[in-house]
Amino acid sequence: MFSFRIIRSASAAITGNVVRRATSLKVDPSQKKSLSDFGKYVADCMPKYVQKVQISSGNELEILIAPEGVVPVLQFLKDHHNAQFAVVSDITAIDVPSRHYRFELIYNLLSLRYNSRIRVKTYTDELTPVDSCVEVFKGANWYEREIWDMYGVFFSNHPDLRRILTDYGFEGHPFRKDFPLSGYVEVRYDDEAKRVVVEPVELAQEFRKFDLESPWEQFPAHRSKPAAEDVAIDK
Amino acid sequence: MANRVAIQKTVRHVKPLISQNNQEARSRVFGLYKAWYRQIPYIVMDYDIPKSVEQCRAKLREKFEENRHVKDIRVIDALVIKGQQELKETVNIWKQKHHLMSQYFKETQEPKPKDFLSKFLAGQ
Amino acid sequence: MASLMFRTVRSISQKAPHRQLSVASARLASDLPAKSAPSAAQVPGTITVEGWEDLSAINGHPAEELVTRRVRVYQPAKNAMQSGTHKYHNWVLEFDTQERWENPLMGWASTGDPLSNVQVEFATKEEAIEFCEKNGWDWSVDIKTPVKPRVKSYGANFSWNKNTRTSTK
Repeated sequence: MFSFRIIRSASAAITGNVVRRATSLKVDPSQKKSLSDFGKYVADCMPKYVQKVQISSGNELEILIAPEGVVPVLQFLKDHHNAQFAVVSDITAIDVPSRHYRFELIYNLLSLRYNSRIRVKTYTDELTPVDSCVEVFKGANWYEREIWDMYGVFFSNHPDLRRILTDYGFEGHPFRKDFPLSGYVEVRYDDEAKRVVVEPVELAQEFRKFDLESPWEQFPAHRSKPAAEDVAIDK
Repeated sequence: MANRVAIQKTVRHVKPLISQNNQEARSRVFGLYKAWYRQIPYIVMDYDIPKSVEQCRAKLREKFEENRHVKDIRVIDALVIKGQQELKETVNIWKQKHHLMSQYFKETQEPKPKDFLSKFLAGQ
Repeated sequence: MASLMFRTVRSISQKAPHRQLSVASARLASDLPAKSAPSAAQVPGTITVEGWEDLSAINGHPAEELVTRRVRVYQPAKNAMQSGTHKYHNWVLEFDTQERWENPLMGWASTGDPLSNVQVEFATKEEAIEFCEKNGWDWSVDIKTPVKPRVKSYGANFSWNKNTRTSTK
């Protein structure tokens, strides 16, 4: 299936008799078909929680679920015999202040049995708790602590929810979009107090704002192409 | 998206953080306050901070009073959760002396000028 | 860009826990279709919350930054040197400018204001306003005056019936 004769060429590489663009992403139609079939199957099995199924970047299956369904859906994906997504490779979040539920939680799962990956996405805001999935995946413990620390998303039923990256006494959640790049405080050793002191930050040189983004639309020809393809599910 | 303006969000049904009602949230706040209050002598002793137990209790009171105006149950819960985490960090001596001193007693910080003359003298 | 800007400023009475809606945001609310009232049937396991969501106690910003700062919500003006307008549709939330000083050693512009580099982008001004209200900032909205594109044609300069050759004297 895989060819190790990788020829780095900007224009085209000839492997066997087939001429392929070396830089284009090759999407295997059969793989895509099996992914979308599996997505539909998950949606059929858990119609209460699955809101949308999509395939992004050609071969990445994403299941968009309601926040109540985190534990059941992850449990299903882990324990179902034809899925066996037993590894939680990452849990992360993104902050989009524009949205009503500003945080999006992303669970990346890996099935070693079927050499397959899946992404489960859900949403929450500053005050809505999300069920912790530590009971499903032990490895989710630190990831959830990280999200709590960086974004301030509260996970209910987490066994040990506390800070993981920030210093004790640190206030705020640094990955939020409204958190300043410099932070609010700076730390130094004070010779008079004979200890470390924390003080409001003072920048000797203020950050400059470089406006490097072009005012022109970059790919107007690709405007109609969505970032992710929807997989039709029965609602 | 556009049809959500704050005026329309007067009464809503939301998922609770922990507490189901006001009384429960209130009792959690008192529980947290009492836990801190009882731990303060040990904290003062363990961390060897140059503060008396009375000063620390006054500071505790001050910190709680700062959020007296909060009415939303979920916000109260969130504050209680953060307070419990702080307490755990403090009691287990995960923190160091300077964490306590700089977080609660901001003595090395010069207070911001409030009246006109001091603002003028500070160059504002 | 036209310097005439229509400015709506919200009143500073919003620090009360149950805030009254100011005239500015009431007008904005009335522009939009009303949402149906919350249903009487309550989902089990939920609690009823009244009034505004006020996150100022838990959003991690220092209290003095919340009390003293005013937020400006605006759409950035087009760069005069370029004609493209693709990146100017978003509404930007920005904090009021604080005092800077010159660094005595290097002559840099120094600041004690961490929020001076914070810019949060929103798709609509309503979202930006709601964000400010939730976080307890006073806000003001600058609404851009729409620019009417002028038709420019070289041939019109020589037209017999268009009064293009007006004297500048």
